[in-house]
Amino acid sequence: MPERTVAVASRSGLHARPAKIFVEAVARQEIAVRIRVGDGKPVPANSMLAVLSLGAKHGTEVTLDADGPGADEVLASLAELLARDLDVEAVTDA
Amino acid sequence: MADSADMAPLPLDPRAIRLTAVADSRDDAIRQCGQALADVGAVDESYIGAMLERERSISTYVGEGVAIPHGTLVAKDAVHHDAICVLRFPGGVDWNGERVTICVGIAARGDGHVRLLSELAQILLDPDSARALRDATEISDVVDLLHPSREEAST
Repeated sequence: MPERTVAVASRSGLHARPAKIFVEAVARQEIAVRIRVGDGKPVPANSMLAVLSLGAKHGTEVTLDADGPGADEVLASLAELLARDLDVEAVTDA
Repeated sequence: MADSADMAPLPLDPRAIRLTAVADSRDDAIRQCGQALADVGAVDESYIGAMLERERSISTYVGEGVAIPHGTLVAKDAVHHDAICVLRFPGGVDWNGERVTICVGIAARGDGHVRLLSELAQILLDPDSARALRDATEISDVVDLLHPSREEAST
């Protein structure tokens, strides 16, 4: 199954707004995407609770996987999203 | 998970638990959460405004009828110590079209909120725990649910 590993760039980690932006981006995909930390259990990346449960901080490496049509492109775009500081893009919030 | 080894129990004061709260709006529910955190000395009352501001900026609804209101980074100075509160709204609260029956208010300094959210999310993701939290009739049951033994949780 195609995978991409990326370090979370958002300074407050993968929660609140960055998590929401990510989860919503996953939800727009037509294939199922999972996310895990290290060797942890992969969880559905379109679930806010599941993503929060990872406890991913700034710099935590997360691994995305997906299977199906366009999986490589989907993973590339989602990895690119996580590699951006989504907090900075939302200056009024944390 | 790299952080699971150093997970401590969620900082939940039994006095910050309400089993049968009533709120007429989302903002009312958030104010009650902030007040509960202030009442146990975890935050200044100014934190309540930050919680409302955060909610207007981005919803803290996380699914399963649960919302986790908390303040913005700028309000961190208003936090005296990490804490959560649990307010149940059996009658439900309209949360931008979603129905919320459990609010877990969060106060955290530094990046403490990431761990708190992770702990909380892992409990809520377990259908049995989530149901037990909704059905608990005693405050001590809520405390027990949110302080699961680490041995059991380490699978």
